[in-house]
Amino acid sequence: MATVAETTNVWANELLLNGCQAVAQGVKLANVDVIAAYPIRPYTEVMDQLSKLIADGEFDSEYIVADSEHSQFEIVKHASSVGARAFGGSSGTGWMYGFEALVVAATDRLPPLFVVGNRALDDPGAFGVEHNDALALRDMGWLLCWASTAQEALEHVLIGYRIAEDNRVLMPMALAMDGAFLTHSQHMIKVPTQEAVNTFLPPFNLGKRVLHPDNPVSIAPQVNEDWVMELRRQNWEAARRARTVIPEVYKSFNDLFGPRYANPFFDEFMCEDAEVVLVGLGAVAMPARTAVRRLREQGKKAGYVNLRWFRPFPTEQLRATLGRMKGVGIIDRNFAMGSPDNGGIVVQDIRSCLYPLTKRPVVTDFIGGLGGRDMSIADCVRMFEITFDAAAGQQRDELVTWIGLRE
Amino acid sequence: MIKRVEVNYRGIFQKTLGKYIGGDIVQIASRMGKVAFSNGRYSDSPERNGIPCKYFAFVSPDLSEEELEAECGAKLDIDEADVSVVVDDTMVKGVEPWGWHGVRAINEKLREKGCLLVTSQHSHDQLLTFIPKQPFSWRLATVEGPASLAGLWVYKDDLTRERVLGALAAVDPGIISIEAVESYLLEKTKDKHRAEAARASYDATLRNMRVVKAGEGAEWHHEIPRLPTWKEFESGGVVVPAVPRGFTMGPRGQSRNERFLRGTTKSHRPVVRFDLCIKCTLCWYDCPDECFDPTDDGLYDVNYEVCVGCHKCAEVCPVPECIVMVDELKFDNNDSPWEHHKRDPQGYIKWAEEKKGLERIHYPHVTGTGMEIREGKFVPPKPDKGGPAAGAKA
Ligand code: SF4
Ligand code: SF4
Repeated sequence: MATVAETTNVWANELLLNGCQAVAQGVKLANVDVIAAYPIRPYTEVMDQLSKLIADGEFDSEYIVADSEHSQFEIVKHASSVGARAFGGSSGTGWMYGFEALVVAATDRLPPLFVVGNRALDDPGAFGVEHNDALALRDMGWLLCWASTAQEALEHVLIGYRIAEDNRVLMPMALAMDGAFLTHSQHMIKVPTQEAVNTFLPPFNLGKRVLHPDNPVSIAPQVNEDWVMELRRQNWEAARRARTVIPEVYKSFNDLFGPRYANPFFDEFMCEDAEVVLVGLGAVAMPARTAVRRLREQGKKAGYVNLRWFRPFPTEQLRATLGRMKGVGIIDRNFAMGSPDNGGIVVQDIRSCLYPLTKRPVVTDFIGGLGGRDMSIADCVRMFEITFDAAAGQQRDELVTWIGLRE
Repeated sequence: MIKRVEVNYRGIFQKTLGKYIGGDIVQIASRMGKVAFSNGRYSDSPERNGIPCKYFAFVSPDLSEEELEAECGAKLDIDEADVSVVVDDTMVKGVEPWGWHGVRAINEKLREKGCLLVTSQHSHDQLLTFIPKQPFSWRLATVEGPASLAGLWVYKDDLTRERVLGALAAVDPGIISIEAVESYLLEKTKDKHRAEAARASYDATLRNMRVVKAGEGAEWHHEIPRLPTWKEFESGGVVVPAVPRGFTMGPRGQSRNERFLRGTTKSHRPVVRFDLCIKCTLCWYDCPDECFDPTDDGLYDVNYEVCVGCHKCAEVCPVPECIVMVDELKFDNNDSPWEHHKRDPQGYIKWAEEKKGLERIHYPHVTGTGMEIREGKFVPPKPDKGGPAAGAKA
């Protein structure tokens, strides 16, 4: 069947944009009502670009510069509660500083979208990518996904709002992207038409819960022991329903814009007949997939899983894909010091997801790229080699190998 | 095949210029049917005024976007450059970027037969007195003119961008062709003068390119710093040794961070007429980088290794012609000017006046009064300072 993309023109033009600018274009196309901003690299350029789009008369939106991330996130949350489509973002320790406001956006079941330009947690001062900032949300009732290219970043602003605002979900959405490698790299990006975006993304409607003088509601009252368990269970139900909504939304995106996303939760690259795969988040997909191509030329059955959605975690789908493998290597661009086997955060979830299988792949973990350290094609080849060896039964002292560490 | 271009620029003053040139290359190459992208060296990201920074553009006629990105995008610095553009010629003396890279040669990344393309008013031979020699031959080309230095974060639209693009097409048409540069500029700006500026620069560059032979060029003394392994430094994030408190009198007397000197940040350096100094302390007091060393005779020596050329001292000095900012390329060492003055007071005055000349630098004022002196004048030495009698010709 011909997609709409093949029959009508859903792409307006191609522009030179970096990851931050691509997100700003997405926010403009999503016709966001309220933006709250507070600078921290690498997120800063998102707010710069948005203010420029508004100043240039290209975009009309309420733009508020806050006095800190905490206020910024509170503004976004409150704007969302009156039914405005709201946008915020941050990086690293700035993100952490606003955490109280992030947590309540989820428990209040509001669906703003935040971009996280992943950045190492200071001290000492560091601007490079590390995923601990966004991953700190993992237990907080948020939707959490990673873009691996600037094109995906733009598209996931639209996809993100559509999922978050679905009345079966109503959860805040964090779109993470690697600082530097994605946020500050300029590419030719296809920008969809406003008409196509309007077709894909309906206006936000909070329904009966909208806070308005004509519709007085009470949000976040003191509830104590009598209510919290039930509220948590509702949050869980929403996260569960999101697992159904997410594939629906990607299907409608693909129908409109062409078959861009075969699997909504993660991209499988050469996984069909693979024996060993690496799993990673974000921009490391580029060197990892190139490493797969090179290994395939040598006859090695390698594959790569670009994990897009971390919350809700695609348990069933990952179990099915990874369960077929002999070896699975996880690239953790984060740290979870003192966790089981001193691994990263992602490996803990994946091992736990694979545990019910009777025949489990061998799992290895890699900590690399912390604080923006390079992750090259050669690094990815090395991680594959270690995982292949582990899958072939080679005993290892540790689950984890650090990649690119000076030792 | 991959073509790699780096644009060396001065942080903040030329940030937009660097980014525009990188982005232009991507858009022009895309129009030629190639795959391209551009990024900056991210550790330069918190650029301070004048800090040497880099923007990159990568172009390939045959790779997929993903493979190009995998090869070039996941790295912090470039592996090798087909063309290294330098938009302020004082950077040929070496560049010490933000971060712990040490002072690096301007042509360190240049590959054999690659081209160093410098905006400069100096001749190739003058530039080669500063640019380190390489074991292979390479090319040197200039885009004639002064460095395009704008104010903070601002872009100075003086056709440097267009002229660099034209020159780039001349030194390596495999990256972008002059026809593609012209049609891009015409379509984007609807201004034929921009395309003409690119073409004129293309023609001039073809005429004046210079092949630099292996072994031709300056000696290089800076080592690339070796960073410690995780076992070799104190735990708790104390990776920068503290600067000891206090100082001793005399040259190099101040305590300073030995790991990050920042001297390559400057386009201009202050030349001091010690004989005119009234010992008011203001230069010493106001210099943001503590470059002045008090001496036993109540004067203030300058340490050019750490001076970032901010112009502050020249602005605060109350005595006309006592501190004057001079083009950094007029100097070939960082020796103590006060020692020179002590050794040979009259010779020093003559030397200082020669360096100063009468033309005064116009510079984006970022710190001071905005006071602009367009023409200098010669002030005779004071008789009691060991110089020749007042009124004598220096
Ligand atoms: S120009 Fe003057 S004030 Fe500025 S860093 Fe150099 S010595 Fe200090
Ligand atoms: S500011 Fe000028 S007059 Fe004052 S101490 Fe420095 S050099 Fe001497």
